[in-house]
Amino acid sequence: MTLELRSINKRFGDRDVLRNLDLSVADGECVALLGPSGCGKSTALRLIAGLDDPDQGSISINGENVVAIPAERRRVGMVFQSYALFPHLNVRKNLELGLRIRGSRAAERDERISNILEVLQLQNQAEQLPSQLSGGQRQRVALARALLRDPLVYLLDEPMSNLDAQLREELRPELKRLMIGGSQPVVYVTHDQQEAMALADRIALMRNGRIEQIGTPQELYHRPETVVVAQFIGRPQMNLLKPQNGVMVGIRPEDIRLDQQGVSCRLLSREWHGASQMLLVESERGPLRIVCAGDQTISEQIQVNWERSDEHQFDLDSGRRLSD
Amino acid sequence: MALIFGWPLLRYAWLSGHADSVLTGLVPVANGGANWLRLLSDQRFWVDALQTARFGVVSVGIELILAMAIALLLDQRWRGRGAVRALTLMPWALPTTMMALGWRWIFNTPYGPIEQLAGSLGAGPLNLLSAPSLTWLVTVLADVWKTTPFIALILLAGLQTIPDDLYGAFRLEGGTSVQALRRITLPLLTPYILLSLLFRLAQAFGVFDLIQVLTGGGPAGSTESLALYAYLNAMRFLDFGYSATVMLGGFVLLMALIGLGALILRLSGLIRPLQT
Amino acid sequence: MRNALRCLVAVLSTVFVLAGFAWSSGNRLTPVPVSILMPAPFADASKELVNRFNREHQGKIELTINRGPLETESISDLAISSLLLGDAPFDALMMDVTWLPKYVAAGWLEPLDRWFDSSDSEQLVQGARLGNRFENHLYRWPLVADVGVLYWRTDLMDVPPSTPDQLRSVALNLVQSSRVANGFVWQGRQYEGLSCDFVEVLHGFGGAWMSADQASTTLDTPAAKKAAAWLDSLIRDGASPRAVTNYAETESLQAFKAGDAAMMRNWPYAWAELQKPDSAVRGKVGITLMPAEQGEKPAATLGSWGISLLRESPHPEETVEAIRFLTSETSQRERFLDYGYTPTAEALFTDPELLAVSSALPDVRRALNHAVPRPPTPIYAQLSDVLQRQLNGLFTSGGSATETMDEAQIRSETLIRSAGGMA
Repeated sequence: MTLELRSINKRFGDRDVLRNLDLSVADGECVALLGPSGCGKSTALRLIAGLDDPDQGSISINGENVVAIPAERRRVGMVFQSYALFPHLNVRKNLELGLRIRGSRAAERDERISNILEVLQLQNQAEQLPSQLSGGQRQRVALARALLRDPLVYLLDEPMSNLDAQLREELRPELKRLMIGGSQPVVYVTHDQQEAMALADRIALMRNGRIEQIGTPQELYHRPETVVVAQFIGRPQMNLLKPQNGVMVGIRPEDIRLDQQGVSCRLLSREWHGASQMLLVESERGPLRIVCAGDQTISEQIQVNWERSDEHQFDLDSGRRLSD
Repeated sequence: MALIFGWPLLRYAWLSGHADSVLTGLVPVANGGANWLRLLSDQRFWVDALQTARFGVVSVGIELILAMAIALLLDQRWRGRGAVRALTLMPWALPTTMMALGWRWIFNTPYGPIEQLAGSLGAGPLNLLSAPSLTWLVTVLADVWKTTPFIALILLAGLQTIPDDLYGAFRLEGGTSVQALRRITLPLLTPYILLSLLFRLAQAFGVFDLIQVLTGGGPAGSTESLALYAYLNAMRFLDFGYSATVMLGGFVLLMALIGLGALILRLSGLIRPLQT
Repeated sequence: MRNALRCLVAVLSTVFVLAGFAWSSGNRLTPVPVSILMPAPFADASKELVNRFNREHQGKIELTINRGPLETESISDLAISSLLLGDAPFDALMMDVTWLPKYVAAGWLEPLDRWFDSSDSEQLVQGARLGNRFENHLYRWPLVADVGVLYWRTDLMDVPPSTPDQLRSVALNLVQSSRVANGFVWQGRQYEGLSCDFVEVLHGFGGAWMSADQASTTLDTPAAKKAAAWLDSLIRDGASPRAVTNYAETESLQAFKAGDAAMMRNWPYAWAELQKPDSAVRGKVGITLMPAEQGEKPAATLGSWGISLLRESPHPEETVEAIRFLTSETSQRERFLDYGYTPTAEALFTDPELLAVSSALPDVRRALNHAVPRPPTPIYAQLSDVLQRQLNGLFTSGGSATETMDEAQIRSETLIRSAGGMA
């Protein structure tokens, strides 16, 4: 099963939300739409689901153009950021409603629901209302509902943004086990690059309604095509040195090492993270972030250096990568 | 709160056990249950009670249905919605007596627009304000016109508490928008519907100035409400003891009606327990 | 030293100011406040008079008129609400004729016998002498005279009908020959106006609402049944439009003024309206008495407003002085000339200056001489309510006049019995 978006345009009022968007997601592939809020990633998801209609362009699932098919017949499993559980129905009825509408028989319904409740360890919550559940439990109900849809495509709209960091880490493997890596394409919308890198096969970095770059997490990390991508992917952010001759040079904090022969720097501040530490220094090439081993002793004056090959060069005007 | 609502009730209860009219020089004189005995055998009280209930139930029923439609319409996004929203509230903002005078003019025979229209269609004078079997419908119409916007507002407020995502999720589950109305909108709106139902029913039971101005209780007493009857007893007949009895009797009947309604709703399973 | 001086000056000036207040109040330089509640139109028509009164009584009495609502019933509500609260904010009250017994029974009014005697009454036109007394005391002094009259179109008939039969056949003829849309418009709505209309018809048929000894109602007499049947027949035969069953004075006047009716029962105030430029019947209207059967005396239901002194008033003398002023012949003349309110002084009905303004004055006076009051009892409102409902029911729901009036009589008797007989 595949998902394919071709030349999608969408305006809200006088604002272009999506401009000429192309995206294909292969069988069982998970593509993360990553970008800051307002970049159009959620809109793209709603268009795929059929909750909004594109102004132009086509959306195909398994080669069939679905633009004219209403949302209720598109067979899309979606997990909303808000989970969108029906507040007046208990967990069992939340899961049952869709099956009932789609005309599945009572016996089959009961069996599927008790299976999914077991898989997601929600047996004890079956008779509770959404308002009585914890955040993680609600999220699992939302996942269960999407799974029961037997969808052709999974759409996940910031499914973990309402959970605390620890819970997120716990849920990531579960998400992978249940949805990602099956036969369905998965589109995963997030503004968290770490989440995207952890879950997605490919990342589409979006900005102003366009895809800035699409590729594997490694490609985006090692060969960012634009300054924007370079700055968005990787934490701490890539350093941008003072431009020279119309060229901007970027160097990742983790590629900088201490070297007596290197550039002299004055330490401004340091953050200790245990295994590593992050230094902020002032150098003749501008301010620099540096990541080094956590047990390294650091004095006020240090010298740093890096490999030429680790430098990323961008055109100052266009922000595009210069071939190396 | 208990004091504000309880005090007048206690006062009426006390008065209803007394003769307090011009005949006693407006000095309350305890008369046991005489007022209540009179109420039980007062045909006019029971006729008015039925007329009031008929007015209340029919108006509030129509108002709810219309208000629901209006609220659903106003909840959609369309051009000029803001202006229409403001306009819809106009009737509600109008003083009842002014509005009632307006309706009296609209139904005036032969100069009001309704009669003019009927005349031009060759339907002759309708005399809708002179027909005991029909005039109450005119009072219903006036009440519906005036208070539908208010209910629509409450329901609209309710609709806006329902997140769009729920409708999205419901559609992705395979439901149509008509099904969403029944499965999502109505159940989530139930508290708001019950609130306006209760509120309006209580209000409709106290209907007074609309009827006083529009029909004066006529023709032949066919539109007289309990509140109007209580008013006549107090302010025209200066019989405060009996007026209090009528008012309190009406209150008891209203409570009974609401209790009955709640029972029917509960039995039919329309009220689902809504925990927050 | 300097501070001490300042203190002294301050103390002295305070003493002087206080002494000044004490002196002025001791000499009653502040005028006695008197306030009277009136319906809005009367309050508006009294503005000039009040200014003059206050000029003439400068320093002694300060009269203010509380401008009440427009409608008779609303002003009654306002008055009763304030009287029930005890300390009424007025010294006197403008009173409709039918309220008097009720207010007296409630103990709200102070008799006026101390101030007005028979020589005052003799100045009044016949109709204005009625409805001011209850239980042998005078409780109200009339401000304007008012009785029900019959308006007729001089362009549609040479003489007005004088018997019920004539009225009906004239009306029917005019309607059937399409010379006018409606024959006779009156007040058939379920409200006080219907009782007023009925009193006139009732007397025209030789009946009366109450027995001669005022002890019981006589609504089941043949005359009363004939009266009810006659009014009903007007609607059934088409001499009156069915719409009169929801007409009050305003609607009747609207129809007559538009030229859509040949005759109208109304009060004298309508005359001025009918002479206005926007009236379709200007100069084509006559005033006469309501019809009566051969040998019966025609009747005009007594309306009329007067002023009553409230028992709670702390300044009865000053209030009566204001009442005297407002009801004086001079004030009546002004009120008539400027606002068209019918005077109460006999002499004014033959005054050339007044006659020059309204040629209808002699007809109104004639009607005033036939004035008939509605039953003067504290339970009048209840009795009238019974009659209105019965009659309006007859007109709108059918049934027979006989049953209607029998029922009205039974219900009235029940009311009187439960009131322990007539007061």
